[in-house]
Amino acid sequence: MQYTSKRFEFTVPEARPQQSALYSRHAALAEPSRIVPFAGYMMPLWYSSITDEHNAVRTAAGIFDCTHMGVLEFSGPQSALFLDQLTVNNVMNLKTGRAQYSQVLDGTGAVLDDIIIYRKSEILFMVVVNAANDAKVQTWFKGVIAGDIVIDEPNAKPITEMPKMRNLREPSSGADCRVDIALQGPASKDILLSLVSDDNAKDQITNMRSFAFVETAIGNADVPFSTTGYTGASVAFEIYTHPDNACYVHRMLMEKGEHLGVKPCGLGSRDSLRIEAGLPLYGHELAGKHNISPIEAGYGWAVKLDKDCFVGKTAMVENHNSHTMKVVRLSLPGRKGVRPVREDDAVLDEQGTCVGWILSSTNVAKTQIALAYVQKDKCSIDDAASVYYLARSQSQAAKGKLQSTDLGQQLAADIDGTVLTRFERF
Amino acid sequence: MIVDGLYYTEEHEWVKIEGNIATVGIADHAQEALGEITYVELPETGKEVTVKGELAVVESTKAASDVYSPLSGTVTDVNDALEAEPELINQDCYGQGWIVKIQVTDTGQVEQLMDADAYKKLFEDD
Repeated sequence: MQYTSKRFEFTVPEARPQQSALYSRHAALAEPSRIVPFAGYMMPLWYSSITDEHNAVRTAAGIFDCTHMGVLEFSGPQSALFLDQLTVNNVMNLKTGRAQYSQVLDGTGAVLDDIIIYRKSEILFMVVVNAANDAKVQTWFKGVIAGDIVIDEPNAKPITEMPKMRNLREPSSGADCRVDIALQGPASKDILLSLVSDDNAKDQITNMRSFAFVETAIGNADVPFSTTGYTGASVAFEIYTHPDNACYVHRMLMEKGEHLGVKPCGLGSRDSLRIEAGLPLYGHELAGKHNISPIEAGYGWAVKLDKDCFVGKTAMVENHNSHTMKVVRLSLPGRKGVRPVREDDAVLDEQGTCVGWILSSTNVAKTQIALAYVQKDKCSIDDAASVYYLARSQSQAAKGKLQSTDLGQQLAADIDGTVLTRFERF
Repeated sequence: MIVDGLYYTEEHEWVKIEGNIATVGIADHAQEALGEITYVELPETGKEVTVKGELAVVESTKAASDVYSPLSGTVTDVNDALEAEPELINQDCYGQGWIVKIQVTDTGQVEQLMDADAYKKLFEDD
């Protein structure tokens, strides 16, 4: 018997990378050397170029293969209570036809994954999880459902009828199988409008309220879609299609979007878009080697400390009261010839004191946008912040560049920038 | 891609010999392994270099790699274009992506390098 209050350890089993449901599209559209193993799947890094695809999402639209992401279904009268107790956000208040950003924690407060929960009806939910965490999160949920993992968080309500969980990417889910294709950027609206025929769907697309979930069809394929995304685009959709129809849907989006400038987009632009928008990547801005909590990552609003109980609540109350670090977004010069900042480079305040470290960074036009983990009382918006480059090669180390840094250390700045707002929408 | 007529090192540098001037860059295998190159740290002209001594640093989004000097001599020219366009190495590693030119002290050292056929054999053994 395990308890939710204990650290949940999980090792992803080694496996040969699989072909995603859109593999034949990638093979047709991307150079073979650009298709690389990622989270158990062969995925495209880029088709045309990272910059080109990034710009397409900001000015027109981009299509992303998210078919590697986990799609789970929970059904049964107590599904809401189950998800409410196992995630940080408030599922009891989530209305049918709406989606919600949330996180799954263990009782120590360690983040198992960040997820989107969709309410399809009073008793039916869809949950989309990160590809890299799919097996772990399924094992966790399955354990609780089977009674092998007992919820021992204080004030837990007993779940008398555990929900039924189905993996909607398993062939055993038959006609209900679903995989995720994302369509993001201002032109997405017109592309999707040209593909759906029912008035409700058209209405929802036109009004574009974030985090809505709409059941509709493209041609003969049933495709629910949601107004969600991971690029910071205000006009953003994720389309859930049967894997057998995935290539058809992808082709239709490309065809209808061609005159609007739609581009297929790879993992490279996905990363640069989400960094520019300030969105966290699990393992970098959430959890990871710094064990970053949702509150530190800027998602305190999603952690409903006023709920009676959720697994990890005790730890989150403690973290809320005592955390000393936070995630910030920085802007640094990035024109050609400027050495890019990297993960682990030190962030310095105006006095040259190390206040934290870079987590992720990207180049957008002539600017580098970086996400960094810094001391909570430092790096307010518009403050100056500098970066010290760590040694990245033997010759740089030989010249005296450090290979790691500590908080409080005095260092000479290599590049000067400023602190931006935590998030940005486009 | 391996170009005939050039010499190569086990660290995947290439060398083109013209008289006592050696032009040095990184081979296709190295640029492919590094991925998108974002920064090149070039030496000063006039710098004295020795065989397997540090010559330049090539950084990509994935990694950073020291470029070692295949020959001893003096750096006579560096490819300044790489400061603004480091991706030239990805696009044309044997041409516009050259890194430095060295005036070689002892052209006899070339015999220690691999020719294209010997370099190709490195990959056949894999």
